[in-house]
Amino acid sequence: MSISYTRISALIFLLLFIIYSYLASEIRVFVFDENADFNARTFPKLISYLGIIVSFLTLVLSKGEDEPLNQFEWIKVLILFSLVFTYGLIIKSIGFFISTNLFLIFSYYYLGVRNYKVIVLCSFPVVAVLQFMLHGLLDVYIRDPFLKLLGVIS
Amino acid sequence: MIEGMLTGINTAFSGYNIFMVMLGCFAGTIIGMLPGLGPMSAIALMIPITYGFDPASAMILMAGVYYGAIFGGSTSSILINAPGVAGTVSSSFDGYPMAKSGQAGKALAIAAYSSFSGGTIAAIFLLIAAPQLAKVSLSFQSADYFALMCVGLLSIAAFASKGQFLKAMIMTALGLALATVGQDSLSDITRFHFGNINLMDGISFVLLVMATFAMSEAFMIIFKKMEINFKASDANKDKLGSIKLSKEEIKEMVPVIGRTSVLGFLVGVLPGAGATIASFLAWGFERSIASAKEKLKFGKGSIKGLAAPETANNAACTGSFVPLLTLGIPGSGTTAVMLGALLSFGVQPGPRLYVEQPEIFWSIIISMYIGNIILLVLNLPLIPYIARILAIPKNILVPLVLFFSVTGVYLISFNSFDIYFMAIVALISLVLRTLNYPMPPLILGFILGGMLEKNLRRALLINDGSFSFLWERPISLALFILMILIILLQIYQGMKKRQI
Repeated sequence: MSISYTRISALIFLLLFIIYSYLASEIRVFVFDENADFNARTFPKLISYLGIIVSFLTLVLSKGEDEPLNQFEWIKVLILFSLVFTYGLIIKSIGFFISTNLFLIFSYYYLGVRNYKVIVLCSFPVVAVLQFMLHGLLDVYIRDPFLKLLGVIS
Repeated sequence: MIEGMLTGINTAFSGYNIFMVMLGCFAGTIIGMLPGLGPMSAIALMIPITYGFDPASAMILMAGVYYGAIFGGSTSSILINAPGVAGTVSSSFDGYPMAKSGQAGKALAIAAYSSFSGGTIAAIFLLIAAPQLAKVSLSFQSADYFALMCVGLLSIAAFASKGQFLKAMIMTALGLALATVGQDSLSDITRFHFGNINLMDGISFVLLVMATFAMSEAFMIIFKKMEINFKASDANKDKLGSIKLSKEEIKEMVPVIGRTSVLGFLVGVLPGAGATIASFLAWGFERSIASAKEKLKFGKGSIKGLAAPETANNAACTGSFVPLLTLGIPGSGTTAVMLGALLSFGVQPGPRLYVEQPEIFWSIIISMYIGNIILLVLNLPLIPYIARILAIPKNILVPLVLFFSVTGVYLISFNSFDIYFMAIVALISLVLRTLNYPMPPLILGFILGGMLEKNLRRALLINDGSFSFLWERPISLALFILMILIILLQIYQGMKKRQI
């Protein structure tokens, strides 16, 4: 049996569903429900059986025909992922407007845009229009300490 | 029925809702045109925007987006041989060669007329079939619903997985498992939250759809170094050519449209089949019945070869609304997303929708027809302008898609945890998709998980804990046999290819 990415992923899924099965059996149910025909454990247990069977079959029956994963842009995606993560970290503290603009500017720059006019035109106006639509037209309140400080929103 | 239909017509033809269809078709065309972003991403991006709307308007907007995205996908298939949607891959077989020979305008017109005709014929079928099926489905009990949902999950795994049935089943199981996170609807017991307060309410459906489609598509564009070789000047009217069709060309298209709209609708009604299978089947079918001389033209710019998949994919889109509206069970990944959106509006699709909320039921059906007209009347002449979207470089496009995805999720909960969680799910989805794990079964499993558990619970309690309900009721038995047939077919195909 050769090792392939599919087999490795199937093994991970198999382990996940075994853990899920264990966790399902550990779900605390009411005493009167313990021996009921159906309780909060039943459905997760059935899913775990399905998951274990199909991931085991994939592990055994799959062939090693995956395309090599090292030809892809892993680093770029991971950096973009970090930017999204950082965006999530700062969105509440510095507000929607600044955090979103920072996210867009850094992302454009990282992905190779060097024309500052393009960077500015594709960030500030886009965010401003969206925020106006949400806040001004659809009445969706977005917490934004910066715009509040400027007196743009109340 | 007439009264309900009139209410639906009234709702669909209100100025506001016509604007919604127009907006949906326009936005859908733009998003669907972008390679990688299909109708699921387009609809997912619309969900947060529709939260303030009434359910009928929101669904009308989404139906417009669905149609627009399919039309947009055809445009990028024809112009740059990069289908934005899987359902329009077969349109590129003949559409792209036509565009290369300077007949892009004609190819786009054929696609638009065929889509319009396919959508129109299928909308008439839907108008007739949906109420009948809704009446029949009123006799369905929990056991039948459970069996039907299992058929839906199995068939989407079988048909939408490109031969990777087992991987699709893993994704189905994963989707079902994710649906069990949070509070159990009956006992209020919280499951699989690992002490994290953010998981106690379960995983947000919008988050999952945005992460697995919109955000992971954006990552994929960078990950696989996808290049879009299209310049704004390529969209000039001179380069696109005329959009006028000759009488002979129309004559050639008409019988193809007639045949493939029926085929597309029937395939669309089947759970799991959808537009992709319908379009490939239609292309293959037309090629197989063509004369030896015409057969040679297929793949090199045949009018029939372009009209067939375009008609079938639009007819299938309409057909896929039949199980959604009448049984409350989505037949495809896209309708699964729409089901999720309906549920979030507190609307439960199914046979009762036809009786209790006819304005939603009928206005969706009627808006599909309006959507078809809008695509033909507004979008076709605007193609030279809309096609310029394809010239947006990926380094601008990707951050914008990421921004819209994050904003969409953040606006629902205003919780930073959802953004981290979404980014992690998107990254995992990217890896899984690279390893050919299909995402639609995951979404369908996630959306049907709660309903599946509820119906199984009822069926088991009625049957004293016995699974005999699967073969005791005629409807359940028929569906149970269908399930076994689907599994046997997959085993047979797997043995034939030595890969399941």
